[in-house]
Amino acid sequence: MSIRHRAARFALGNRALVLIVMALLTAFFAVGAMRIEVRTIFSDLFPKNHEFVQIFRDHQNFGNPLTLTIMVKRKDGKDLYQRETMRKIWDISREIDLAPGVDHDQVLSIATEKARYTVVTADGIYSMPIMDDAPPTTEAELAEIRRRVSESPAARQFLVSADGTAAVVNATFIEHLVDYGELFAFVQALVAAQEDAAHEIHVAGWPMLTGWVYFFGADTAMIFTVTLGLMFLLLALHMRNLAGIAAPVIVSAVSAVWGFGLVGWIGHPIEPLLMVVPLLLIARCFSHCVQATERYYELLRSHGDKHRAAELSLVSLVWPGTVGIFTDVAGLLLVALAPIPALERFALFTGMWALNLIPTSVFLTPVLLSLLPRPKNIDQLVDGNGDGEQGGPLRRAMRRLLLGCGHLATGGRARFTAAALIVVAVLAGYEMMKIQIGNPVEGSNLLRHDSHFNTAVREINRHFPGLMTLEVVFEGKDGRIVRQADTLGTMQSLQHCLESGPTPPTATLSFADYAPEANRVFNGGNPKWAPLDPDDASAAAAAGALMVGTNAKAYLHITDFEQKNGTVSVWYSDNRQATVDAALVQARRCIAQVGAEHEKFRIRLGTGVIALQQSINETVSVYHWLILGALNLVILLGCSLAYRSLAAGLILLVPVNLANVFLTAALALGGAGLDVNSLPILAIGIGVGIDYGIYLLTRIWEEYQAAKGHLEAAINTALTTCGKAIFFTASLMTLGIAPWYFLSELKFLSDMGMMLVVVMFINMVLALLVVPLLIHLFRPRFLESDLSALSENVEAPAAGHRITMPGL
Amino acid sequence: MHIRKFDFDFSRRAFMEKSAGILGAGVLAPLWPLIAHGADITKAYPDELLSIEGYTKGRIKTGDLITADNVELVKDLLDPVALKQVKEMGRRIRIVASTRDVTRMYPAEYLEATLRNKGKARFDADGNVVTQDGKPWIGGNPFPEAKTAEELYANLSLSWGRHDNSTYAVRDWEIGPDGGQTYQYDFVWVEENTTGRVGAGGPYLAGMEDKLRLQSVFFTSPADVKGTSYLNTWHYDQRKFPDLVGYLPAFKRVRKFPTNQRFEPLVAGMALYLSDAWAAGDPMLTWGNYRIVGRGPFLGAVSQNWHGDHPNWEPPVHGGPKGQTFFETQMELCPEVIVVEAEPVGYSRAPVSKKRVWIDVRNMMYVAYVTYDRRGDVWKSFEPQYGLYEKGGAKVLDGRHTAWSWTAVQCHDIQSNRMTRFVQAKGVTGGHTSGYNREGLREKFLTEQAIQRLGT
Repeated sequence: MSIRHRAARFALGNRALVLIVMALLTAFFAVGAMRIEVRTIFSDLFPKNHEFVQIFRDHQNFGNPLTLTIMVKRKDGKDLYQRETMRKIWDISREIDLAPGVDHDQVLSIATEKARYTVVTADGIYSMPIMDDAPPTTEAELAEIRRRVSESPAARQFLVSADGTAAVVNATFIEHLVDYGELFAFVQALVAAQEDAAHEIHVAGWPMLTGWVYFFGADTAMIFTVTLGLMFLLLALHMRNLAGIAAPVIVSAVSAVWGFGLVGWIGHPIEPLLMVVPLLLIARCFSHCVQATERYYELLRSHGDKHRAAELSLVSLVWPGTVGIFTDVAGLLLVALAPIPALERFALFTGMWALNLIPTSVFLTPVLLSLLPRPKNIDQLVDGNGDGEQGGPLRRAMRRLLLGCGHLATGGRARFTAAALIVVAVLAGYEMMKIQIGNPVEGSNLLRHDSHFNTAVREINRHFPGLMTLEVVFEGKDGRIVRQADTLGTMQSLQHCLESGPTPPTATLSFADYAPEANRVFNGGNPKWAPLDPDDASAAAAAGALMVGTNAKAYLHITDFEQKNGTVSVWYSDNRQATVDAALVQARRCIAQVGAEHEKFRIRLGTGVIALQQSINETVSVYHWLILGALNLVILLGCSLAYRSLAAGLILLVPVNLANVFLTAALALGGAGLDVNSLPILAIGIGVGIDYGIYLLTRIWEEYQAAKGHLEAAINTALTTCGKAIFFTASLMTLGIAPWYFLSELKFLSDMGMMLVVVMFINMVLALLVVPLLIHLFRPRFLESDLSALSENVEAPAAGHRITMPGL
Repeated sequence: MHIRKFDFDFSRRAFMEKSAGILGAGVLAPLWPLIAHGADITKAYPDELLSIEGYTKGRIKTGDLITADNVELVKDLLDPVALKQVKEMGRRIRIVASTRDVTRMYPAEYLEATLRNKGKARFDADGNVVTQDGKPWIGGNPFPEAKTAEELYANLSLSWGRHDNSTYAVRDWEIGPDGGQTYQYDFVWVEENTTGRVGAGGPYLAGMEDKLRLQSVFFTSPADVKGTSYLNTWHYDQRKFPDLVGYLPAFKRVRKFPTNQRFEPLVAGMALYLSDAWAAGDPMLTWGNYRIVGRGPFLGAVSQNWHGDHPNWEPPVHGGPKGQTFFETQMELCPEVIVVEAEPVGYSRAPVSKKRVWIDVRNMMYVAYVTYDRRGDVWKSFEPQYGLYEKGGAKVLDGRHTAWSWTAVQCHDIQSNRMTRFVQAKGVTGGHTSGYNREGLREKFLTEQAIQRLGT
């Protein structure tokens, strides 16, 4: 007796034990599931080994992405020097200091004490807040604020727009204290309270983007409900009996509890953006269960005994099911090759979940089926003679479609089909090479173009130097480098080089911009004193002067708390990939010009939104291929071992890789880019998509054995039986995933849903067409060998007794 | 002898009854008559409030370390930041015996003045402390038996260091969120009271009766700040901000600066604000809504914290990610502290919503200070250590007597997890040393010419 027979006999012979163990495990994981934490860890979204990310971690205050930018804009044509607008700026500045996780020392606007103008008198230097202890109310006070802003270069450029109609309030948050959901609700309430007919308020910055993801992520529950409802409905319409409906539902629920429970016990937070992947896994579980249930029905119809049918269905599906799940697991786990902590956690979470489908789906399903009542409609469910003529028009159309695939893949037409496929594949490959890696939009590709967030990004970019900075870091080797002449001089040279280049930024800023003003003020106010003497004493004096009566945190954006490192901030109008590429080329050229290594510091490129975006893109472009390559290798090894044939492995890989080529080409044609979000989809596409090939290949082999070497007949029979099951499960998956596209306000989820539907569809079509075609063209030797251990047969073919699965 | 009647519950009930703030210090007997008669304060408190063994029913003993393992037993005796430091950050605190001889908690002349002038202080119509005949204060704690929050705060505000003048050679270390040292400063802090003096020369510096104190700070290391000096002239009127002049060596001239920006650090890299110094870094009347919010025992670093056995009086460090976040600290069970809160009513843009200060009734000095942000979350602590300057055979005098002073301070921004800790060192770069009641201090350190000279 083989191991699969022994396993099946044990499982069905000890149903109570199996159920108790499963129940205990489920209870254990249910406790873990209670501990699940859905949250974003900002720093985990970036590739940990990338130079830019290392610099970001070393210098998190430069171009700090955890900064919220709130823009107050007059929309009635007046400038912002109006009583009510000043009041709003004041109130927002005070209110945002109450936001959860805010760094109280890093709230900046013309209403905070850190925005100052300087008055030089005969005996003193008075660096005073632009706004006094209350917002201005009289015309004279408003005029005075306008004058003070005009006398403060920093406020004029970065806090008030050039046209005088908008002002920003910047607030930086402390990562370990911030709760994005709570912050988002806080900011939304603040915006609602301050917006009126004369003012619009725009809020941008990473904390807000995450807040929007959390906000729309709340739709996930609704999407879950709709998806599961649709799948349940489809299942109910198809099965029309208790066992066929209850078993997949119970098994999927158990699998979900295990999946969530494990991650709860491990204590890894789940990235909210990826919360829909579990839904995909539930759909996968449904799909595996339906296959097992259908198989059980066939055997039940043949044997008449529930217990025996369940045992035999387990025997028949344990290996094909396990191989199919293995590919799912490989696809999900290999995503972890990309050194992005959030993806590593995602891979572990989803990979382990997929793995639990082996005990839950493969073993629990037949045990449950054996306990549930025998369906009364079994004859209608199982098409006994397999000719498909018993079904309605839908079934007949499906049968014709499937036979059409067989028609194209066999006989003399096969060569033409192959030639046509090669041409299409070459064309798609050509298109694929044009795929853009990176962000194709201004703002975030996670949200729709007209979303509040992306609108805010565009509006702020339009009125101010922008939200997107590239930070060129001056990293100190010794002492406080921003108090040294070489540092300030090099910063100025670098800025000059960048600003005079072919693609100049919208603005640059460094400590070197502040020092001359301090020098002028402390020397009596005459502009002729602005330039610094090129010695360390002058630089240190100017830096010291800047710090008098203020907080070093006021300069955290350009030098760190201890002033041992500095940065040149370079603003660009947007973060489109072309802008990013040009910015990096320019920065590298200018760094080479001023020299990267100096005695007291080195210049490192870089951090800021632009560099971080690029770090992801470079990682995607490298690991995209690495993951696909590794996945191909693992699946090739696994399937070759399972089928004991390298040819079988290769045949299975061709359609899934073709599917990826087509998908990538479709993305390129649609103007979409390949980014970190599409990376897991491509891996999942291969891992999940290959299941179709496995089922079909196995069935063709079986039919080939049964048809005594008549390959064309074997292919046609396999297509009209197993192909039908593939069609049904693919439809189930598609119906499950398709609602994401329509239901989610998150563009990411819509795109993900659409991509998954497309990749599943392409995978299905290619499996039905390419697998038979390749088998027909190459007639691999494994067709002749004994693969009974892998087959859905419950007995070895040599025994002559064979149970077909015409219902599939 | 242990009198069961006067157990901890009795003390707690007594404190609850007194929390309205209308009664003086002491549980079993009023404290100040005992102090005035040189008696042991043991008679004022039951044993449960004078020994950690009594408080914890023997589970913690004098000499034990408070660590994460046993801090729950004394969690009500620590401020929230200190509790977090011990529970989560590896801080250790050694328990020493409670001080029963109150003369060990004051500079001798200040205690004498406190006793001598008891009952002579009142608030004038503006809220400033004056003598009964309306003159500026004449030295010592104006309200040794303070019954209101304002009286308690006046005790903190009128004389920071409790000597007529003090020179503090300060060595400061900045510890970043990763537990690493980010910077180190040497500076000298000089203060001289112009009123409320307790020495032989009388309570006022001639011609400066309208001022409270002169105070300068000048940096001696590292090189990029060396010579930077500031001089504050504090008005007696606590409604007014001090006058500030500064000298930056490179600019070679003394300049005036505004001083109403109090929620800013002294220099780059420090966690403490000007407002935090001495728990009374701002003129007293620029804060308001003073109120007593509690009374009870507390753990305070009020004795045995002078490290005279170290060549520069620097205490060992421990804890935090790199084993250097906290100073070694000795704390004793203070039998009675009064907890006072105040709000920065004079600062419309203050990032702080309130400060909470624990004041030891034995010497009316604060033992813990915590600020809260506007959300009400704990933000920073400013935790002082004090002691009599004697250890083994080593001793420092402030004239005829053994000196009493602060020894170290830890200022911890618990939100951004930055620690500023500094010690009153024997000496710092530039050859400056700590000392008290020195002659000629004003001319050397507390004039515009002096700070200019110090910077050159």
